[in-house]
Amino acid sequence: MAQPLTTASVPTDIYGGDEVSALVLDAGYCQTRAGFAGEDVPKSVLPSFYGSIKDTNAASGSRNVFGEDYIFARPDFEVKNYMSRTESIVEDWDTAVQMWESMLLDRLQPERRQTQPSKNGLNDGADGEGDVSMEDAATSAENAENAEKPLAESPLLMTEAPWNQGKAREKAIEIAMENWGCPAFWLSRTPVCAAFAAGKASALVVDVGGANTSVTAVHDGMILKRSIQKSHVGGLWLSSQIRSMFDSCDPKIEIRPSYMIESKVPVDAGAPSQAILRQLNHDLHPSYRAYEDERLLTEYKESVVEVWRGPGRYSNPGNEDLVKTQPGRIFEMPDGSNQMWREQRYRVSEGMWDETAQLPTASEEERITKAQTIPELIRACLNAVDVDLRPNLLGNIVVTGGTSLLNGFNDRLNNELMAMYPGMRVKLHAAGLTTERRFGSWIGGSILASLGTFHQMWISKKEYDENGAGIVEKRCK
Amino acid sequence: MTSHDVREMLNLSAEGGGPRPTKKQRTSIARQNLKGLAREVQNLGGDNPIAIVPEISSFKKRRFGSRKPAARWEMRPFRNSARGDESLILRHWRRKTDVQPTAPQPEQPQQNGQPSEDSKMDTDNGESKPEEMEDSSFAKFNVKVDVPQYSEDQYNSTLANNEWTKDETDYLMETVRDYDLRWPLIWDRYDYRSKEGDAGTDSSTAVVPASKTRTLEDLKARYYEVAAKMMAVQRPVQYMNQAEFSLHEIMVNFKPEDETRRKKFAEAQMGRSKDEAREEESLLLEVRRILARTEKFNQERRELYNRLDYPTTETTQDLSSFKTSNGLHTLLQNLMTADKSKKRKSLMGTDGQNTPASAGPSAPPGSTPLAEQRRESIAASASGHGHGHGRNDSVASTSDARPEKPTKKGAQAPERRKLTEQEELTYGVSTHDRLPSGPTFRYDRINKILTTKSNAQHARITNTLNELDVPARLTMPTKAVVDQMEHLLVNIQTLLDLKKLSDKFDAEIKLEKAKKAEKEKANGGPAAQPAAAAESATKGGGANGATTKENGAANQDGKKAGDAASSAATTAKPAGGEGTNGDKDSSSKDEKSSAENTATDGTRVNDEKAAAKEAKDSTDGVKQETGTADTKEERPSSSGGHNKRSASVLSSVSDKSAKRQKK
Repeated sequence: MAQPLTTASVPTDIYGGDEVSALVLDAGYCQTRAGFAGEDVPKSVLPSFYGSIKDTNAASGSRNVFGEDYIFARPDFEVKNYMSRTESIVEDWDTAVQMWESMLLDRLQPERRQTQPSKNGLNDGADGEGDVSMEDAATSAENAENAEKPLAESPLLMTEAPWNQGKAREKAIEIAMENWGCPAFWLSRTPVCAAFAAGKASALVVDVGGANTSVTAVHDGMILKRSIQKSHVGGLWLSSQIRSMFDSCDPKIEIRPSYMIESKVPVDAGAPSQAILRQLNHDLHPSYRAYEDERLLTEYKESVVEVWRGPGRYSNPGNEDLVKTQPGRIFEMPDGSNQMWREQRYRVSEGMWDETAQLPTASEEERITKAQTIPELIRACLNAVDVDLRPNLLGNIVVTGGTSLLNGFNDRLNNELMAMYPGMRVKLHAAGLTTERRFGSWIGGSILASLGTFHQMWISKKEYDENGAGIVEKRCK
Repeated sequence: MTSHDVREMLNLSAEGGGPRPTKKQRTSIARQNLKGLAREVQNLGGDNPIAIVPEISSFKKRRFGSRKPAARWEMRPFRNSARGDESLILRHWRRKTDVQPTAPQPEQPQQNGQPSEDSKMDTDNGESKPEEMEDSSFAKFNVKVDVPQYSEDQYNSTLANNEWTKDETDYLMETVRDYDLRWPLIWDRYDYRSKEGDAGTDSSTAVVPASKTRTLEDLKARYYEVAAKMMAVQRPVQYMNQAEFSLHEIMVNFKPEDETRRKKFAEAQMGRSKDEAREEESLLLEVRRILARTEKFNQERRELYNRLDYPTTETTQDLSSFKTSNGLHTLLQNLMTADKSKKRKSLMGTDGQNTPASAGPSAPPGSTPLAEQRRESIAASASGHGHGHGRNDSVASTSDARPEKPTKKGAQAPERRKLTEQEELTYGVSTHDRLPSGPTFRYDRINKILTTKSNAQHARITNTLNELDVPARLTMPTKAVVDQMEHLLVNIQTLLDLKKLSDKFDAEIKLEKAKKAEKEKANGGPAAQPAAAAESATKGGGANGATTKENGAANQDGKKAGDAASSAATTAKPAGGEGTNGDKDSSSKDEKSSAENTATDGTRVNDEKAAAKEAKDSTDGVKQETGTADTKEERPSSSGGHNKRSASVLSSVSDKSAKRQKK
């Protein structure tokens, strides 16, 4: 294989890396990502939605299952999310701990809970009770210690929304230190991580995620708190726009996720579906339907929706006519009905840029104001930082987040910024790889936690013990 | 396919039985030798072994042979001395080194989880190991800023400020230290609350505005004030070294108002409209272009100055020498000569570079023949392109230009490469003293000569030209032709003048003779003798007597014209006088010539030549008198050069005129 290393140094030294087998956890409203520091993709990506199964045996009356595999059409089942949709911060801490444990412990370190075959109890069913109890003392003590400090070897780096507040931060370090026994812990803001992922210490981070869009200025590896701008213009808002667009179509388009379909027959474009629906003999919780709908809409967004690239707004005269002459995209619903989408696919996304172009939505809180459009967020963010920084920030705009993968998003953003700040140098840095865009903040955290110079930053267990949870406010600024 | 197969195919089975096994053996032997070669390839050779020697690659063997036992790696704990608490022990993978002396360590790698914990326990409990625990190689990168320190007393004595409490100043210093002097961050996180409000609310520090909003400039100003004052306290300004002093100066001179104003400008700059931005961009472009152009201009100007080599040194150094008119005059002289030589040089320089094509069309200037004669220029185009009839002329012109050229050049531009006449001819090079601006026509020169004359004279000249069968308007006015034409016209002019005089004298002689006859009739004559002698001379001269007399008259006239051009009245005197010198001279000469010379054509021609020469000289003399200073300096060369030609040309002309006179 490769030539044996002649020096004792590790190659990562060149890049200032020094891996200490840290774990990185990045929780968002739509997805929670966990993995090992130093890797380029999180090992475990789960939806932040979880299934809560009614279980009369459990004390709380339900038990939770995590992961897409467990979310399927079952009667006693409710799909929940442990994060707050409006804030993208943890809402349900009990579930959050469960979920994170299931990821950090079960999925990342599956061997950890597996004790040796002789001791794990699987092989001693035939033996009498006495045999088991013989070695139990030592094993259980070990297990107890293991269970007590399941992460005793791995420093943990967690990300948080830039607007995350004191109590939630303290809670995070408490869990890491007390529940998991991490030797070291750090809490990092997502924009900082996203900027690091793009290789920048100072940047204007435009994070267009699932539930929220945030624009934050990062200076020298720290966020500028006054510059934080947040809006709910994100993937879920876009889904609501698509829903209302489907509703307003002439034959109203029904969203029927695939679990409802027994079998489908190919039909012509625009023709009504002739699928046979599956008959479920139990009721489903509406949250499950909503979750499945969202998945279908995500697919629609990925394959059909496009952003008008500019220049100018989509509503400017002539643009729509031009789009109508362009080839559209065909999308086939799970029930077999399919249709060509031309100008509609631009319309749904236009509200991100132009609040007057947004489609009417069912609920009032879905509506966005002018200040919540992406260009206005950026303007407000820039206005809140020192004027000397602005040119530099405009030249280092980092675009991240899954929703920024919409076709034409970067072109439009660039056009809007050029129009807004004429004569300034505007440069967007958006990762080309889909994974890098989706997991930008996780990757940044992975880079950060594997840096040799970062090790002096960790909050150690000892420091936590001495100072209490408040240390996180002092250290992770 | 073996040879056996071939034989089988060709039904050569006769010898098939015997050799087969041996062959097979042979091939099998060969196969054994050539390992790694496909059987089919080996068989291609048939009986003969294949001449391919397969290279035995010892790739794998050598690798396995030389491989050392796999490098052992271990999870090695390390600490980071840059940390506030050094108790944090992280572990990373490192090559296991043999020098690792400790006993419990080697057991580690067999199991991942527990031993490490043990070792950590060890390091935590037993204090024997910390010195061998490696320090992070990144600890050295931990750098902190120095923030000024001050004591309570120092604050009260030097740093007290109405705007700032000590508490807030402390907070500012702390923030500055926390954020390593990164001012945007300091300003962003600056959130000071007076002590009483500070107690409980540390949870929601982010968005709540500070009680007293401080601008970035306020913070900077205060910090610099404190820092500068503390610097001065620690070491008085006069004892600071250069770097410290400049730093101190910078901090003392920080003006928050200026900063604020600058930022306002910057903000306005950011809020420009698209048109403004575009305009500014175009202006910037223009400025850049102008700058680039001035650069070029400056360079060109410098080049020009260098070329001109303007006399800066004398004029700038002392002006006193130029305060008198004398000094000024000498300066003027200096400048003039310098300028003259410069101009010449540059002109010559450019001329030398000219191609024949560009030199040819540069017509000689239309000017008076006098001025023209001063100027020596070589006609290039005519001779260069070889017109049939112009050849002789051009040769003549170059030949006459020859003697003067080298001297000129040698005198004035010795450094320049000398062109031979032939070369100048072929390249069409011509040199000019001065060129009038703009193009001129050559025949203008001829016209000018004609038009300056009176109508009667003009008519006479044209008549003469007609007699000579020379058209008044040249059909091919090349340089050489025009030069010749000019000469011709000048000579015609002289001839006409002389003719006029001779006519006049003839008339006077006749008159005098008539008078004399009257007198003799009246007196019966003592003065008869000379008259008789004259009569006899004329008679004795015979047929050519008339001509000789004519010649003599012409001769005399020439002389007379020589000295009497200034005073026309004197012409009458010798004639009117009772035997003046001139008259006698002429008569005696006439006698001589008539006596000595037989009237042959040749001698006549000679005579005429001489006469023409004299005439020419006389005209030159006239010129000398009336001419300007520059003609003087030109004259010797030009006249010397022209003499021959004018003589030869004139000979023909005067020949004809003599013929006419004979008639």
